[in-house]
Amino acid sequence: MRLEIFLLILGMGLVTFLPRFLPMALLSRWVIPERMKMGLEGFPISILSAIVFPILFFDGEGKMGIQLPYLISAIPVFFFAWKVKSLWGSVILGMIVYGGLGYVF
Amino acid sequence: MIDYPFKEGARTALPIVFGYLPVGMAFGVLARKAGLSTFEAGGMSLLVYAGASQFIAVEMISRGALWLPIVLTTFFLNLRHLLMSSSLSLYFNESRFRILGLLSAQLTDESFAVAMSDSSKIVNRPTYLLGLQMTAQLAWIGGTVGGTLFGGMIDHQSYGIPFALPSLFICLLLLQIRKAHHLYLTAIAGILSIFFKWVFPGSWYIILTALFASGIGMLIHPKTSQEGEGKEQKSET
Repeated sequence: MRLEIFLLILGMGLVTFLPRFLPMALLSRWVIPERMKMGLEGFPISILSAIVFPILFFDGEGKMGIQLPYLISAIPVFFFAWKVKSLWGSVILGMIVYGGLGYVF
Repeated sequence: MIDYPFKEGARTALPIVFGYLPVGMAFGVLARKAGLSTFEAGGMSLLVYAGASQFIAVEMISRGALWLPIVLTTFFLNLRHLLMSSSLSLYFNESRFRILGLLSAQLTDESFAVAMSDSSKIVNRPTYLLGLQMTAQLAWIGGTVGGTLFGGMIDHQSYGIPFALPSLFICLLLLQIRKAHHLYLTAIAGILSIFFKWVFPGSWYIILTALFASGIGMLIHPKTSQEGEGKEQKSET
């Protein structure tokens, strides 16, 4: 491994590790106020929404516009996930629908 | 009943494996194209283990960027883990620092979301989360190494592969929606995220959405308006 690449990886690793580690290390030792807990409770849903919705409305380069194949594939996955609650099933269904759309578009 | 938390966690990670293997392979292919060796690309997946920033780093390396902009971009991109790490901290108040260090080093969007989809399983069970995350990272490293070695043979745009991770995220989101106010929060966060991504460059929109939406969520939380309803949730944490 080249030294410059190794140092780059170490640098990237460090700045990735710290935001992952510090809250867990510090907050797990605190008694967190009830109000803050309510805020933390909303994070998973907020983050997941922030990941899912832009995928449907932005292309790979970050330009806004409806991503029709993604949007169409997302609909059955939404319903399936809602009713069946299976991660595996959702992933496989999504891949089949999206893969199938490749023949249509 | 004998409890095998590591194994149970590893099994829970299987849908992530499905998503990580092809994306890891795609990363391996691009890393190779950017001039990284199998060892270097694999090392990055081992020590950095952050999908989006690895893709961006490789892109920047291939354009001859210096280390500082790459490290800074990585830093800002992964600041969002502050929030996930804060959420997880609620469940591990009995664990040692060493364990917390290991757990947090492998924290990703996907493993966090899968772990939180049934938070009753992670309460002071670091081994369960460890099994989940180890399996996920193994798939990521395996995909990377595989991609650098024989990536040229597979077309990553076919077989519905681009929609594997989005499907996973959609299901994870729906698993989190259990009450009426969760649905409102989803709608608010969805609209905010599109607005923020439209206005701000890069991946700032995730951290901004999380802060604003959960702030609003705190206001519409039933616990703030009615006292009684919160009790069932208290027992969860």
